[in-house]
This record gives sequence, C-alpha cells and structure tokens, in this order.
Amino acid sequence: APTGPGKKITARLKRTLPVRGPQAPTLSELMRWYCLNTNTHGCRRIVVSRGRLRRLLWIVLTLSAVGLILWQCAELLMNYYSASVSVTVQFQKLPFPAVTICNINPYKYSAMKEYLAELDKETKKALETFYGFSEGKSKVRRSVDDWNSTGSDFFEQIPLLKVEDFSRTATELHSGQKRKIEGSVFHKDSSIVNSGDSNDIIGFQLCDANNSSECALYTFSSGVNAIQEWYKLHYMNIMAQIPLEIKEKLSYSAEDLLLTCYFDGLSCDKRHFTRFHHPLHGNCYTFNSGESGTILSTSTGGSEYGLHVVLYIDEADYNPFLVTSTGAKIMIHDQNEYPFIEDIGTEIETAAATSIGMHFTQSRKLSKPYSDCTETGADIPVENLYNKSYSLQICLHSCFQKAMVDSCGCAQYAQPLPAGAEYCNYKKNPNWMYCYYRLHEKFVKEQLGCQQICKDACSFKEWALTTSIAQWPSIVSEDWMLRVLSWDKGQKLNKKLNKTDLANLMVFYKDLNERFISENPANTLVILLSNFGGQLGLWMSCSVVCVIEIVEVFFIDSLSIVLRRQWQRAKKWWSGRQQGRAAQTSDVERQGHENPACIDEDLPTFTTALRLPLPQDSPLPRTPPPNYSTLRLDTAFTEQLPDTLELGQH
Amino acid sequence: MNLKKYLVRALHRLQKGPGYTYKELLVWYCDNTNTHGPKRIIKEGPKKKLIWFFLTLLFASLVFWQWGILINTYLSYNVTSSLSIGFKTMKFPAVTICNANPFKYSEVKPLLKELDKLIEAALERILQPTPGNSSDNESLGLDLELWNQIPLVLIDEHDKDNPIILDIFETSQTAVGNETAMDSRANKKYKLAVKLCSHQGPENCTYRNFSSAAQAVTEWYILQSTSILSKVPLHERIRMGYQAEDMILACLYGAEPCNYKNFTQIYHPDHGNCYIFNWGMDEEALNSSNPGAEFGLKLILDISQQDYIPYLSSAAGARLMLHQQKSFPFLKDQGIYAMAGTETSIGVLVDELERMGYPYSDCTVNGSDVPVQNLYSQYNTSYSIQACLRSCFQNHMVEICGCGHYMFPLPQGVNYCNNEDNPGWAYCYSSLRSSIKQRQICIDSCKETCNDTQYKMTISMADWPSEASEDWIFHILSYERDMSTNVTLDRNGIIKLNIYFQEYNYRTISESAATTIVWLLSSLGGQFGFWMGGSVLCLIEFGEIIIDSLWITVINVISWCKGLKQRRARARYPDAPPTVSELVEAHTNLGFQHEAVGAVPRAQALPPEPGTPPPNYDSLRVQPLDTLGPDSDAD
Repeated sequence: APTGPGKKITARLKRTLPVRGPQAPTLSELMRWYCLNTNTHGCRRIVVSRGRLRRLLWIVLTLSAVGLILWQCAELLMNYYSASVSVTVQFQKLPFPAVTICNINPYKYSAMKEYLAELDKETKKALETFYGFSEGKSKVRRSVDDWNSTGSDFFEQIPLLKVEDFSRTATELHSGQKRKIEGSVFHKDSSIVNSGDSNDIIGFQLCDANNSSECALYTFSSGVNAIQEWYKLHYMNIMAQIPLEIKEKLSYSAEDLLLTCYFDGLSCDKRHFTRFHHPLHGNCYTFNSGESGTILSTSTGGSEYGLHVVLYIDEADYNPFLVTSTGAKIMIHDQNEYPFIEDIGTEIETAAATSIGMHFTQSRKLSKPYSDCTETGADIPVENLYNKSYSLQICLHSCFQKAMVDSCGCAQYAQPLPAGAEYCNYKKNPNWMYCYYRLHEKFVKEQLGCQQICKDACSFKEWALTTSIAQWPSIVSEDWMLRVLSWDKGQKLNKKLNKTDLANLMVFYKDLNERFISENPANTLVILLSNFGGQLGLWMSCSVVCVIEIVEVFFIDSLSIVLRRQWQRAKKWWSGRQQGRAAQTSDVERQGHENPACIDEDLPTFTTALRLPLPQDSPLPRTPPPNYSTLRLDTAFTEQLPDTLELGQH
Repeated sequence: MNLKKYLVRALHRLQKGPGYTYKELLVWYCDNTNTHGPKRIIKEGPKKKLIWFFLTLLFASLVFWQWGILINTYLSYNVTSSLSIGFKTMKFPAVTICNANPFKYSEVKPLLKELDKLIEAALERILQPTPGNSSDNESLGLDLELWNQIPLVLIDEHDKDNPIILDIFETSQTAVGNETAMDSRANKKYKLAVKLCSHQGPENCTYRNFSSAAQAVTEWYILQSTSILSKVPLHERIRMGYQAEDMILACLYGAEPCNYKNFTQIYHPDHGNCYIFNWGMDEEALNSSNPGAEFGLKLILDISQQDYIPYLSSAAGARLMLHQQKSFPFLKDQGIYAMAGTETSIGVLVDELERMGYPYSDCTVNGSDVPVQNLYSQYNTSYSIQACLRSCFQNHMVEICGCGHYMFPLPQGVNYCNNEDNPGWAYCYSSLRSSIKQRQICIDSCKETCNDTQYKMTISMADWPSEASEDWIFHILSYERDMSTNVTLDRNGIIKLNIYFQEYNYRTISESAATTIVWLLSSLGGQFGFWMGGSVLCLIEFGEIIIDSLWITVINVISWCKGLKQRRARARYPDAPPTVSELVEAHTNLGFQHEAVGAVPRAQALPPEPGTPPPNYDSLRVQPLDTLGPDSDAD
C-alpha cells in the first residue's frame, strides 16, 4: 500500500513512462541484451545460433568482419592525402611571356680595353709560351721581352701549371720552375684519367693565402678550358671592382642591340624593352617585362602575331677569351620570374632566322600535406636575394651566396649582393678564389645543405619551345635587306652591315590552347565518410549509431554495472558490519532493484521481466513476429508456436 | 458515410498493423524501421530517449547536408585524367612540305615587274644620304598609279608634336615647316610608314608606322603583291609555284621507296604549292610500327633559292609541318623551318589529349555546334580551331570590306580583294586586323576540339651534304631530276629531312568522369549508411509511412467533417443512435476507435500503450509484465 504522496508520484511516473533499457544487472545479461538488440549484424547470430560449432563460426565471422572494417578504414585514412591530376585546356587570349634577350658577349671589347688590357696581354703571353700561338711574328719578340721584365701579377696570384700526372710535379708555365704538388688535385673534366697518355695536363693552383701549404690544384683535360676558366677568374675580379653604372655604360644599349621590332602586327621599339643588368651577360633587354604595369597579350597564334626582332650582334667587338661563340641568348619566362640566362637560356645563331613556337603549360601542385612544395617561398629559411618571385633556382643561388658571404667574407660576382656584403676581389679578399672553389665543390656535392633546404615551387608556368632555323636573309634578298637595315641603324654606323652581325628572331604562340595541369585532393572528408559508411555497411551493416551503441554498452553501461556491483558489495560489507550477518536476507540482484544509490533511476523492468517465471501455459516463443504486427495481432501466430517450442525447449 | 468506410477499409487492407493514429504509426515506424536511430528512441528510457531523439535528428541533418555536397560535386562534372606513355604502332603523321617562297620569281616576274621597279626606285630615294634632292627623272618610267594606291611615306619625327610627312615620289610635302625639315635631315630621324586610305576619300587615311624600314618595305610589298596575285586564276598560280617533281628529289618511307606522286598537292596562299605526304584523303594512312630514323620518312628537297622573290620572303628554307590526317596544315602557326644545306632530323612524340565533351568541358567533337561557317570544309578537312578563327576573320572581312582576303578561302559568291575593285581594302583589312573586338568575337565563338593532338618534335641539325660527298650527291640528284649531266643544284637549295617516331612515340592524357552515377549512388549510400545505417529501403519505408499518415489525415478530415455534420444533426435530434455501419466498424477494426463517440468498453482491457511495443523478440514475455504493472500500482 502507498505510504506517502512521494511514492505515489514515483509510482505514477513509472507507470506513465515505462522504462525499457539496457540496464541489465549483470554483464552477461547486458551482452546478451546488446547482441539481441544491436543494429549491427553478426552479434545477433552469435546469440541466437544453436550449437557450439555454429556459434563459434559466427564469432569468427563477426570478428573477421570487424577486422576487415578496421583494416579497410585504416587504408582509407592512409590514402586520404592523395592527389589526383586534372588537365584542362583552355582556348583564350594568352598573356605573352617576358622575353629576355642578351648578347652573348657582355661588354663591348673596345670599351673594356682599359680595364682588361693587362689581363689580355698576360693571356696572350701565356698562350704564346705554352702553345706557341701568336698573332704576329713581330709581336712575339716584344712580348717575350716584356715578359721577363715585368713580373706578372696575374700569374703570381693564380699560377697556370703544366702537370705531369704520375710524378705529381708541375711546371710553372711562365717561369719554367718545377714545383711539387701539395694538397688535393681536382679534375674539372672527369674523363681525363687515362693511363699511358703522355699529354700534359694544364691546370691552375689555388692556395689558401693564410696558410700556403693548403693548396688545391684544378686541372683540365684541355688547355682551352683551362685558359678560359683562368681568364674568367681574373675577369670576375676586375669586374667586381667596377661600379654598376659604369658597367651598364660599357655594355650594349637598346639601340645597339635591337634593329627592328614588331609585335602582334604592330611596330614596337626600345621603349617596350626593359634593361636588366646581368652580371655575366651585361645588359639584357626584356620585352614585355610588365614593369610599365601592363602585360601584353596575344589573341591570335601564329608567327605573324608574335614578337619579331632583328638583333645586331657586333661580332667584331667580342672579347676573344671570355666568349668563344657568337650570337644572342634569349630566355622566355614569366614576368615575375628571374631569368637565369646563364643556366637555361637558348642560343640564337647569326645570319639565320630562328623561329620559336611556344606552347603554354601551367602547372599547380598541392602543397602540404600532399607534397613537399612551397607556395610563396616564405617558409624557406633562405633569404631571397633576387627581387622576383620564388623559384628553386633563386633559392639555390641565394643559399650559395649566403654560404659564400659567411665563409669567405665576400659575395660571388655572378649573384646579387646580400645586404651589407660586397663583391669579392683580390685586393680586399686575397683568399676568395680558393674559398670559392672549395665552397663550390661542397655545394655540388650537396654538403652545404642547400639542396635539402630549398623546395620546388608549387605552381609554375612553362613555355615549351619548338625551335627551328632558316637561312636569313636569303641570297636574293640579302642585298636590299642589308642596305635597308644599315639605313635603319642610322648614321652612327657608316658601314654596311654584315649578315653575320645580324640575327632574326621570331617568338610566337603556336596555338592559344593553354594547358593547365593541376593537382586536386583525391579525397574530401565527405567522400572519406562515405567510404567509411560503405565499409561499415558492407561488412556489418553498421553505422555511427552502432558505434555509439558500442560505446554506450561496452563502456558506459558495463562500467556502471561494475560500479554498481562494487557499490553494493561495499554497502553489503558495511551493512554486514553494522547489523551482523542475520540482517542479510535478500540476494544481491534483488537488492539492486530498490537500491536508491543506483546510478540510473530507471527501473530495469525489462530485465526483471526476463527473470520472471515463464507462464506455464504459454511456451517461450523464439521466432520473432513479423515486422508488421503488434501485440494485438499475436493471435495470428498461435499456429506457429509449436515449431518454435521445439527449438526453445532443450 | 460510404467514402470514409471505403477509405478506412482500404487503409486496413493496405497495411495490416501500423495503426490508425499518428502516434501509433510513428511508434510502429520507429520500432520497425531499418534505420538505426529511431529504434533507439523508443527502446530507451526517457533521458536516453531525448538524447537519441536529438542524435537521430542530428544524424539525419548530417546525412542531408553531406548528400547536398555529394550531389553538388556530381553536378560540377569533374574529370580525372590518366596518362599513358609508351610505344605502339601508330599512324604516321601527315607531313606538309612547302617552300618558304610561294612562287618562282622567273614565272611571276612579268606580273611583279612594275612593283619591283617601284620599290627599287623608292629604296634608292630613301637610302640616298639626303632624300628629296634627287632629280625626278627616275620616276618617269614608273607606274605611279600603282604606287599611289598604297604609298610609302617618310615621316620625320624630329619634332614630336608636328611630324612632317614626306611622300617619296612627290616633291611637295604635306606639312608646313619645310625648312626645319631640311635642317633635321642631318639627325636622321626618319621613319618609313605605309599610308592607307579608305575608299571614301583621301581625308580618311591612317599611317602605319614602322620602327624599321625593312619591315615597312616588306609589309608594303605584301599588300601590293597580294592585290596583284589575287586577280590571277588559281590554276595559273599553281603553275607559277614549285612543282612536285622539281622540289621533291628523293623520298624513302621505311624501307619502301616513294616519290613525288605519293604527295598530295594543295595550294596554300602563304607558301604556294605545298605537298602533303600521308594525308589520308584518298588512301589509307600509313602506319609506323618501329621507332628510329631507319623506319621513318626520309626526304631530299630542293628549294632553289636563286629563284626567290626578293622582297616577299627574306628567310630561305623549307617550311614543314606535321599534322593529323585529314586536317588542314596551318603552316604559319605550327610550321617549322628547315635550313638549306643541312640535314634536319625530327623525332616525333605524339602528344594526345582526349577530352570528354559536354558537360565536362566546353569543347567540340566535329565543329558542327560552332556558329561559324567553316570555310576550310571545301578542302574536305576536319574542324580545327585555327580553321574556325580564320573562317571567322574571313567572314567578318567579307561582311565589312565586301571582299575576301587572299590568304584565306572564299565564301561562296565573293571575290578576293584587289586594288581596282576594292580601292580601300588595304585600309579596311588593316583596321580589321588590329581590331581587338573582332578578335575577341572570334575567340568567343570558336571552340577547341575535344581531341587535341600535338606532335612534339625533337629537332637536330647537321651540315649536309658533307664536303667530301657534295660532288657526287649533287651530280646524281641533278641527273635524276633533269636527265642531264649539268649540276643544277647547290648547297643553298638542298635540304635533307628525316622524320621518325621516337622510342616513346605517344603520350596520351585521357579524361574520364571523376564522378559517375555509380560513384554518386555509392557515396550517397555510404553517407546514409555511415550516419544512420540506412538504405534505399529505409527511404521507401519512410515514404510508406508518409503515405499512411496521409491516409490517416484524409480519414481524420472526413471524420471531422462527419462529426461536424453529426453535431449539427444532433442539435436537431439530440439522441441519434449509432448507425449500424459504425457498430460494425467498431467490431472489426479494433485499432480505430472513434473518439467522439466515446470509448468502447473493451479498450480498457487493452494495454495502455499499444503503440510502444516491447523489443521484437520477447514480445510475449513482456505481456505479463504490463498486466502486472497496473496491478502492482493498484495495491
């Protein structure tokens, strides 16, 4: 009988909110309940299967399905950061690239005379003594006399040597002194190690100025390379001392280089070109550099609509030792890309029309975590010395220059200056050449770490070039062409041009199809989840709900059961101590019913129902009623009961 | 009422079970659906019920959100590209060979005689140290009418604001400040320009400036010669060009000899007679199944440089192009030069891009959907973007200038432009050519083809013939061509060509749809399965429930109407006895109780909540508990 209003209310609540829950009193009951009621397939089979073998089979199958799911999902996760490539072609008006044009010879030889006279004289002498080469007989005598009288600076600093490979002795070429080679020998040409060849090897020796025993000998298989390299070292020394403004004046002006210019069917002139001083190539001129703010574009492909220039290459004014080929060097690049003419330029022949057809391709990679590339170069710990956007080349050159400044104390001439540094020359840094060669050796062997630090850029533009050459001017048009071009050149040059002084260059788009190759993430989160769902569904018909169920049953409920058990045990032990053994009447399970300390207030009516004595008149049915039936229609199944009864009772 | 009875019976027949109120239906649905969430809602206790309700709602909305993303992805028609590279037997590309010079000068000399005289005289005047001073005797024998149609002028730009224009053959100058012009001559600030006037009159003139006189002369000569040659009938022009037997001296394809008869002649406006090898128009295209120069095409050509037109083309060599079978060669765009006196080896890699058409990308398969009349179809060639752009230009030209440009094929019933019939054509053409708007229209209306094939060429050159072999090679080739012992060839005219497949001869990028309908379905299924364990059947279940609830709504509405009627009727006859049909209904249909009529006594014997059935598999065992519940409450 109800004793208070509170109890009545709880009783009513229990009645109105009937509770059916998983709160089984024991773990095994909980598991059984879970298996029977879970949405995942497989578990149910374990419980309802009869026979040990079949049950075992189902346990194995279920576990292997779980394993498969875990494996497949792990694969999916691991392949999440993969990229797929897509290629699109777009036909459109294309921006014309910047075209940088340089004369191969950096400075007018006639203008450079005052700076290079000494060096050239020495070089000529060297050629004469080593190889018996001379330009004129009368000169020879005089220069030999000169030789003995004036000791040469150049050879003292870097002596040219003739090396006998086996005896490891070298003859100093200008003085004839023999000296022993100390230190290491570096071969500039790798293929020279040939035994039995009596050819002498030419090289030069670089010594540490502070410690003269530390020397390195650089040898070359051919005197041509040796002389050129040797000349270049001295040349760089001299050039490093000349300020930029003077150097720009010594080099070619736009009027000197460009005879005619024609772009997209319209005439253009030097105003369309931007000067850019390259340390090794002198003044270069960039067409469409974008410096004026506008970038020209072409809306028609074909040779008529590209850039068409005639270049004046003054072959007579070439430096004979520095450059040995004639022509121009051009490079096609993006407006905010630095032209590494010396590395990737294309050479143009004189007395020929070079037609360069371009095809534009743009590529974009995905940066981290898909691949190891950099978008802007901001995350690379190398200062960008060039005033252009990041590229791998820029990074490598900057990195080397930085190492050079750090270890040699001065900057290499071919690359821009870092802040606060200055170019190397003998007067201030007598040791720089030895240092430079050592450092360069290290750089090439990847010991400086530049190759590891520098990453490639994520997006890049590429102009694929198809170069072909035709004879120009043709025999029959040569006459008038040269006359008119001489007129164009103006009065300054009162001579008729020679066709070997001219180069004709055409740069044009072959077609306006831009190829855009881009990487896209192959997976998005949506697709990953879909794939998870597919895997879960395929093997076990499981979903997130099942996962929550598992968490709920195996963690929360199990834990609560264990805790409740412990609490009851503790309480029992406590009450046993308090009241003695006689007070203990009810068993643990029944106590669990009315236990107010129960974590869940819901009455486990369902489980108590399970423990109720079976009604003797109605046997336990094992086959479930079909879905579309409620309890009220259960009379429809009375016929089936005897079958299930057999299964149920054993 | 008959209708309602019928509906109820129909519902009953349709679904034996779910129940006849919304609540019953919902509870039944939740219990029996295969979707994972709803079952939990009714199986758990009240707190968890709430949690599960929200979880189910959350998951359902997640599913719909993700479905939206997936369908969006599908409708964006992405493609994935696959790259394959290797060697396979492929059709050898069609090879078009032309001479850089269109006509033999010896043949066209009579036509261009006047023009050459004019330009020579003009150059004489320009190049002399002080222009304008020479006597006028020279211009006596010249055709000044031809000159005046498109004259060349000197522009003195010494004074930027007031440029002085000097006509070369006229002493009078068209600007004031004659004396200053004389003074500035020493500074040599002259520029050559082409004066173009429209046919409306001399006041409508433009000067095309050139930074270089060489360009101006070439441009002027092209304009003039175009006008002259456009009047010459086609067969005559073909005769004046280079003949196949003169040009192609030797030909070898693989191990098989071939000769000039294997080439198809085509008249190209820029380059005169061109010859196409392996065009595939009449005969089957040749296959090449071996890489390397030995199995490619080897040609020896003679371009006879001595016979070039001096002012027309200044570059000498052969122009050649590799292209697909049955496509028109656009040599100005894709052609390359081969230099005389050299052997040019060309290794070929076929770079193909196969794209999917609409809706994946905006490309055309055969050009039939492009709104530009393809003028190149008269050559029987396939559509290409270059053909489209040129046709577009020519159509505009015909529309605006009234005549067709000589460089492009003609639409029907239109003639080529020449100075006599269309005096202002050069002006019209020049303004049209530099019009950005016209180009943009053409770019917008033309579409690229879906299959884009490029022939990537690796070009290398060597001197040929070598000095040692020069004599006998020239001798044999001259003998074979002319059947005479005189050597008619020289270094400046002879070209050797090797065209062959590289070791890897194809690189194919083909597109496939990234998102197919199969992908969409499996992704949708994956999402639904992932969050709710659902499938299409669950959707059908849901639809079924909605239909059921509609039925219930219909029935409720009907009964409400009926109740309204009854109330009105009851107002008149307060004690209306239940009709027979209602009584019968009450018996046969336990679930459907008319609440307005009042509870049938049996209803109390029923479990209080028939809608919340116990878990499926223990349905019967629960019954004693439910009956027990009220009992225990009662005492």
